[in-house]
Amino acid sequence: MFALAVRSVRQRPGRLAATLLAAFFGAAVVILFNSLHDTAQQPGIDPGSAESLTLTAGVVGGYGTLLVLLGVASTLTLTVRQRSEEMDLLRRTGATPGQIIRMVIGEALLVATAGALLAVGPAVLGGRALVARLHETGQVAAGVDHVLGPIGLGAGFGVTLSAAAGAAWLAVRRVTRGRPGRHRLRTVAGALAVTAGAGGVGATFAMDPTEPALMAAPAFGSILISAGLAAFSPALVRALIPALGGPLRLLFGAGGHLAVLNLRRRATELAGVLMPLILFVGMATVTLCLQAVESDAIAGSGLTRSVEDRNLETLNLVVVGIVTVFCCLLLINSLASATAFRRREFGQQRLAGATRSQVLRMVGAEALVLVLTGVLAGTPAALAGVLSFTAVRTDRIWPGQALPTWLGIVAVAALAAGLAGLVTAVRTVRVPATVAVSA
Amino acid sequence: MSALRLTGVRRAYGSGEAAVTALDGVSLDLATGSFTAVMGPSGSGKTTLLHCAAGLERPDSGLVEVNGEPMPGGSETRLTRFRRERIGFVFQQYNLLPTLTALQNATLPLTLAGKRVDRARAIALLEEVGLGDRLHHRPDQLSGGQRQRVAVARALVTAPSVVFADEPTGALDTRSARDVLALLRSAVDRHGRTVVMVTHDPVAASYADSVIFLADGRLDPAGELRRPSADAIAARLAHLGDQAVGTGV
Ligand SMILES: Nc1ncnc2c1ncn2[C@@H]1O[C@H](COP(=O)(O)OP(=O)(O)OP(=O)(O)O)[C@@H](O)[C@H]1O
Ligand SMILES: [Mg+2]
Repeated sequence: MFALAVRSVRQRPGRLAATLLAAFFGAAVVILFNSLHDTAQQPGIDPGSAESLTLTAGVVGGYGTLLVLLGVASTLTLTVRQRSEEMDLLRRTGATPGQIIRMVIGEALLVATAGALLAVGPAVLGGRALVARLHETGQVAAGVDHVLGPIGLGAGFGVTLSAAAGAAWLAVRRVTRGRPGRHRLRTVAGALAVTAGAGGVGATFAMDPTEPALMAAPAFGSILISAGLAAFSPALVRALIPALGGPLRLLFGAGGHLAVLNLRRRATELAGVLMPLILFVGMATVTLCLQAVESDAIAGSGLTRSVEDRNLETLNLVVVGIVTVFCCLLLINSLASATAFRRREFGQQRLAGATRSQVLRMVGAEALVLVLTGVLAGTPAALAGVLSFTAVRTDRIWPGQALPTWLGIVAVAALAAGLAGLVTAVRTVRVPATVAVSA
Repeated sequence: MSALRLTGVRRAYGSGEAAVTALDGVSLDLATGSFTAVMGPSGSGKTTLLHCAAGLERPDSGLVEVNGEPMPGGSETRLTRFRRERIGFVFQQYNLLPTLTALQNATLPLTLAGKRVDRARAIALLEEVGLGDRLHHRPDQLSGGQRQRVAVARALVTAPSVVFADEPTGALDTRSARDVLALLRSAVDRHGRTVVMVTHDPVAASYADSVIFLADGRLDPAGELRRPSADAIAARLAHLGDQAVGTGV
């Protein structure tokens, strides 16, 4: 079966691109932050430098790892489901469910390993740049060089490979069992994640307001809530459709009409695309707002802001930026993959008389609904973390810059989702319709 | 009045050494209210002929006219608009949209053209193809024969000048095939539609008023068979096969 997996990877490199990219980005982020632990543990390092490194690695590495786990898993779920037809074919030609499961997991492991291997180089470069910034801010002594060791590599490969294999297993099991179940597992997991997230957010109140790692609890909590709400997002899409149907038809014509019908039917399958969207909105809002509140709190503490403080602020923004960019790339990646997969469907619509622009308007209308759902689910998740952190860290409840930050994030989400969907769709409908349906 | 006229239609795929001439100057003229079967060996250009005549592909040269109007050049959008009002197409693999119900699939060409969907008329059409009790089923809840009948309803819904069908019974059992052929026949007899159907099956072809034969991208110079029996068609096909072998192609 492993040989079959290898062969299948070699024959269809294009269809595995999404998995490879997700594994690559994910492993890069995890290796990058966890290599700071390796750097902190090199012999002869001074305690101050070691503490700064461990703190940065711990705060961001923690929720960064969680994000990667969720991101890689959601991409895998999406790509495995795209292959249900092929698996049906294999099953009908005599492959046992066990063989198919081993093939799909073998493939996922192979691709995830390739992605993680490719990520080592960029992660080392990123790690060096990050440590250089830590030198500038004076948090790490100039003599301390970045090292990549067993912790960075272990975490990077461990997280990426286990996320890939775990998600592949869950997804392929769903496919090989024929009719998808009631998604009870997903509902339970979603509810658990929301509860755990609420616990994380609640833990903020139990912590010392000046504790440097205070940010970790609400950030972790918000991300968990985002992931949990993603499990319920298909229901949210369904709830939105009746209200949005009219305006979408008005705005997008027949394209809007098709979008409504598709969304209603496919709401469940959309969870894979909604997960990265909700994670992006939730995670970007919470981390950027926390950072802003923290900066304000330092500024408001009466101490004059030193150059170092300002450097520290930039450094933190860089760190948060890396994670935000990761989420945004993940979102683009899964939307592009999901859209490219619809080549046949677009061809069938065109054969039935849809013009290219009607197909594109349909994709645009669907993206709009997805973004709206992502914002509706991601925002409360982020608010939970932002409000509790603000309440603990400052004497206010509402953070000053939250609204413009949130608006910016919503704009980026809309732009990324819209462009990823439309650019892919434009490329997909370039193929003649008669060819698109026959492949 | 001719519903469909092709004049010197040529279509080649690929370029240079690897070029394949799928259609090598095909001319034909089909009257409104006629039912024509197109037959010929695999690779003889039948599908290409239908695609070019239906505006799904552009010929390299030659003219296609539907009801006296030439197929428009220019953007694909113009061609699509022309096509969806005047032409219906039934595919071997149905090509129904999986997220749409039978009724929604059948009325899709109207929806896309921005026309008001007359629900009562659409339901009557689906009842006519025997799917009155399957209006709200999706393709995956229908049998192959039922899917193809939805596809026939979709092809007829705009009251098109010409309906094309490319091996519409190729994936069906004998009984379902007969149902679909009877529907095409009644579209001609009862509604005066013009139907052009590709098939490999002499029995299916015998539902047509006439059969034309294609070999190596050209119409058989021996001409069409009128009011053919399945046996006569089979005999002619065998002859066509011998010829192709005889000329060493
Ligand atoms: N998209 C394409 N690209 C390259 N060659 C093609 C393409 N479509 C058709 N051809 C070639 O053109 C010729 C005619 O093909 P066509 O599909 O029209 O045959 P057909 O008569 O419909 O055959 P069949 O009975 O097997 O369906 C064949 O040689 C085929 O290989
Ligand atoms: Mg053919």
